[in-house]
Amino acid sequence: MAKELIAMLLAGGQGSRLYALTEKLAKPAVPFGGKYRIIDFPLSNCVNSGIDTVGVLTQYQPLVLNEYIGNGQPWDLDRLYGGVHVLPPYQKAKGSDWYKGTANAIYQNISFIERYDPKYVIILSGDQICKQDYSDFLKFHKEKGAEFSVAVMEVPWEEAPRFGLMVTDENDRITEFQEKPKNPKSNLASMGIYIFNWDVLKKYLEEDEADPNSENDFGNNIIPNLLRDGRAMYAYHFDGYWKDVGTISSLWEANMEVLDPENSGMDVFDEHWKIYSRNSGLPAQKIGTRAVVENAMITEGCVIDGNIKHSVIFAGVTVEEGAEVEDAVVMGGTVIKRGAVVKHCIVAENVVIGEGAKVGAMPQDGENGVATVGSGVKIGAGAVVGPKAMVRHDVKEGAVEC
Amino acid sequence: MLTMVTGKEGSALGIIFPNSYDNLVPELVAERTVASIPFAGRYRMIDFMLSSMAHCGIDNVSVIVRRNYHSLMDHLGSGREWDLSRKRGGLNMVPPYAERNVKMYSGRVDAMSSILSYLKDQKEQYVILADTIVAVNFDFGDLIAKHKASGADVTVVYNESEIPEGARNDNYTLVLDENGRVKELLSGDYRPGKRNLCMNIYVLEREHLIQLVQDAMVRGIVYFERDILARNLNLLNVQSYKYEGYVARIADLKSYFDENMRLLDTENLNALFKGAPIYTKIRDDNPTRYIMGSKVTNSLVADGCTIEGEVENCVLFRGVTVKKGAKVKNCVLMQDTVVEADAKVEYVVTDKNVRITAAKELSGTDTFPVYVAKYHVV
Repeated sequence: MAKELIAMLLAGGQGSRLYALTEKLAKPAVPFGGKYRIIDFPLSNCVNSGIDTVGVLTQYQPLVLNEYIGNGQPWDLDRLYGGVHVLPPYQKAKGSDWYKGTANAIYQNISFIERYDPKYVIILSGDQICKQDYSDFLKFHKEKGAEFSVAVMEVPWEEAPRFGLMVTDENDRITEFQEKPKNPKSNLASMGIYIFNWDVLKKYLEEDEADPNSENDFGNNIIPNLLRDGRAMYAYHFDGYWKDVGTISSLWEANMEVLDPENSGMDVFDEHWKIYSRNSGLPAQKIGTRAVVENAMITEGCVIDGNIKHSVIFAGVTVEEGAEVEDAVVMGGTVIKRGAVVKHCIVAENVVIGEGAKVGAMPQDGENGVATVGSGVKIGAGAVVGPKAMVRHDVKEGAVEC
Repeated sequence: MLTMVTGKEGSALGIIFPNSYDNLVPELVAERTVASIPFAGRYRMIDFMLSSMAHCGIDNVSVIVRRNYHSLMDHLGSGREWDLSRKRGGLNMVPPYAERNVKMYSGRVDAMSSILSYLKDQKEQYVILADTIVAVNFDFGDLIAKHKASGADVTVVYNESEIPEGARNDNYTLVLDENGRVKELLSGDYRPGKRNLCMNIYVLEREHLIQLVQDAMVRGIVYFERDILARNLNLLNVQSYKYEGYVARIADLKSYFDENMRLLDTENLNALFKGAPIYTKIRDDNPTRYIMGSKVTNSLVADGCTIEGEVENCVLFRGVTVKKGAKVKNCVLMQDTVVEADAKVEYVVTDKNVRITAAKELSGTDTFPVYVAKYHVV
């Protein structure tokens, strides 16, 4: 039985610029928005868009991600035919390879895709926070009679040189592709989300694999080859929320945007487009007698006795009396002790911040670094972690880390 | 650390009676069983018993329902959330069996007689009988080990407690000898002070239970405690097991309100939840949002709430909305309750999907909370 559309989700990203957070887990597994992980967004988008078959391509630190996805039940992706499948690189009769590039990752899983005999394949990225209805995208692809479509966002012209850009004609047909050009001819940035006709994709993957000089990458190799051959290529304009959370500051910013759904468009409260996640199984949150909570998102298992202002607090966090948390992202299981001050920063999972310690600082004179504390780190009592620090090891009592 | 019930020797199956004591909390069970009464912000009463059993390796659990069980069926589904969706055993719902006309169970013996053939087919050595009027994080493995070691025919679980006012006419208490053997099993104890109050959890051998039920049926006996245990204490070796952990017991609306409020003390909250996690049906709510201008103190808040107003000493279940200017104090608001702008509510228990419209004032007292039924608009 053939499927119309299946998804292949690239989740091998190391997220090296998030290194304090991604030392032990792949970027798509990075916690986000209080009770989610980044990968919950593409997975929920799939289910909400009616896609019931998703291959998740993993490579870097897959343990947490594998366990998290499990049988796919939290996303309703535990299916008899289809569902979510984690696809790590594997040993073949003729040797084995790591995934050499995005295109190679798909190439190595051609047999997975063929089991479902799909008409279309959508390639997704596990590195982005985005709420998108892929069925609208597919409708566009079909209406245009496209063989390849790419979702694009209009970006400010001055930022355009940072992106892969699509130059299009008045019918949205792509005429040229510029990868991070000095002189952009377009401000339509590729979101790294593609729909291919499967027969076309398969042909180009095989051709690309046969080319020893290829980097086996969609942006650098597959798309230019399609253009060279004059294939029917179209750009689909997306104007919803989309954010590549590749850096600490963009990850922090995206979390802050969750606090302001009315203006940011990042609405995790949308009943009609639920974001699913694996549940922590913790009891309801306890807001204590002396707690002051202003403009925050807090979830299950938290015990809050301190002051929380404009922050995102994940499951099972304890904030003791007199502690101050502001403009902060505090991930699951972290304990912030009495009198500690935690500001303008990201604190990863299971961190202990000792009594009276200071982590990060509110931006002053344009100085706006986002301090980061890696998972499991212990910050001793009275220690100071500066606004630009990225801490991956324990900080002793009273020590200063900048 | 919980004790696991494993291997053929010492393995146990569970039987839960979710309808027991329906008459005690008429408000809350108008459209549901005691088992599906919402509790502690995000749970239903049965979650505690099911999770405790599942964590101890009791993965063959029958829930014998009598009436009003639609909400319970909706809650339990396949039992997957408690890890009880299994090929062998797992969760098994037993509604009244319709043969020409539907026969209601009148007592536990009656109910168990209807599953005798099922009981005979099982492999487990022991049976745990329980109901859902207590929320506990219980170690069944330890209970079975003690039961085995004592050589008892039946072991009864109790805790030392005052008898809640609502349960004055409907309770079982124990009189023990110096070795913990049950000398008397009293029903409807009304005397003040601490008593050895039954938690309605029993363990006995499966073969023995089958025999007791068969003999009772022959004599037309329907009540397990009063007619089988209490009358045969000289013939049966009935031992007691004192539970020292945290117990929340629901006997009436007042105790329901009090037991929710008692969890506002973090020590109590930790005592109930410190063991293995308690599972429940997942709703996929977003985290709770505290909007600018909200003021929340001393409250237990589940996910999916949006709070703009003031909340003090409250238990808010999943998806509650408290709008701007609203003041909510000493309340238990069940799932998806909406308190509109500038409304004031105090000592109120709202059932699910209640709406308190703008600027209304509604209040009970600490001894008599006002109850607003499901889907009502005030």
